[in-house]
Amino acid sequence: MDTQWPRWEVFKQDTPSKPHQAVGSVHAADPEHALLTARNVFARRPQAVSMWVAPASAIFSVTKEELAQRPTPNAEREARAAISEYLIFRKTSHKRSMTFVDYVGELEATSPEHALKLAQERFTDAEALAWWIVPASSVTKSEESPETVESWFAPAKDKTYKQQSYYGVVGSHASKFKRPKGDDDE
Amino acid sequence: MNEPVKQALIAKLTALADDELILAHRNSEWTGHGPILEEDIALANIAQDELGHASIWLNLRSALDGSDPDRLAFFRDALEFRNSELVELPRGDWAFTMLRQYLFDVYEALWLSAAKNSTYPPLAQAVAKILREERFHLQHTQAWVERLGQGTEESHRRMQEALDMQWGYVQQLFVPLADEHLLVAEGIVPDLAELKKAWLLHTTQHLQNSGLKLPLQMGYQPTTRETHTEHLWSLLAEMQSTARWDPEAKVW
Repeated sequence: MDTQWPRWEVFKQDTPSKPHQAVGSVHAADPEHALLTARNVFARRPQAVSMWVAPASAIFSVTKEELAQRPTPNAEREARAAISEYLIFRKTSHKRSMTFVDYVGELEATSPEHALKLAQERFTDAEALAWWIVPASSVTKSEESPETVESWFAPAKDKTYKQQSYYGVVGSHASKFKRPKGDDDE
Repeated sequence: MNEPVKQALIAKLTALADDELILAHRNSEWTGHGPILEEDIALANIAQDELGHASIWLNLRSALDGSDPDRLAFFRDALEFRNSELVELPRGDWAFTMLRQYLFDVYEALWLSAAKNSTYPPLAQAVAKILREERFHLQHTQAWVERLGQGTEESHRRMQEALDMQWGYVQQLFVPLADEHLLVAEGIVPDLAELKKAWLLHTTQHLQNSGLKLPLQMGYQPTTRETHTEHLWSLLAEMQSTARWDPEAKVW
């Protein structure tokens, strides 16, 4: 039996001018709990102004390679279904160690597949390596009140990472015992 | 600031710092033992924050009497500590730890909110910094009290047991120090009697909404910070061991 709590994808916004980016996931019992743990895991040090969480199970994701294999997902299947809102995330780069999807916008569609099709038509400014289609109804956002932003995210700004060199060396530094160049081991 | 007020402030800052320091240590005992990784990290964060607050209070004290915060933390004996007994109780289970942190967070958030307007500027400045962290702590522990209180039969039982045990101890947070009235009169720190009313209102409501019953019998209520449970000795033995083992720390 799987006793793990559900997994939630976490989207963090670093500054108001940047998009929300997927930064990783947390296990949590419910949406509010997911936000609380996400704040602890992903926003203790780095800068942030807002966080979203969504259950991983609610996310429809597809890569460029998968799209190449089945070029047109069946978008017509649920064409008569009710229209709902979707948040669209896209990955456009393999660079950096944290290459996750970025939020690009919101659109209305009748199914995740339909939303994907619309997203491919609308967001054409860069090649998509992967898409995440997230029903807006499954997303829980951190509060936008100044008090919450101040309490959740402001303290992290003053807490910088300490590099190893920050800590003073007591006694002799290891470099003192280094042999001069050319003085090779036997 | 006249001498009696100064001495009263030194005593108060020490009590504030010791509550945070000892609670931080108790919480830190969960590191590596949390129920899930995310909560392990979260509680370690809380412990670090509380430790940071202890450091702030001890530095304020240092500005008054030139004392060394590290010496106070790591070389004082148990009988010189001025923390409440609540914070030195063993960490117990997750319900016990979350409830204690919650009850303390409500008290601390209220105390800090009231102390924002302290007539002693260094205190008012420190409060502004600590308060924002404390609001988040409170949201987190409040959520846990609610979830365990309303969760399964077992989680409810454990939370209720923790409440029955802690309800008397936690009242000590509202027992003023001998000369605290001097500070209240000067507007340096808030009046604990006033805070207690707000604290009771807040906690009673949340505990009852979480399906918990307030104990009919208050239980043991410590009244002085000059005596401690046996648990403080073993806690300090561990917390202070490294510093005492090598006070000079010339090589590490």
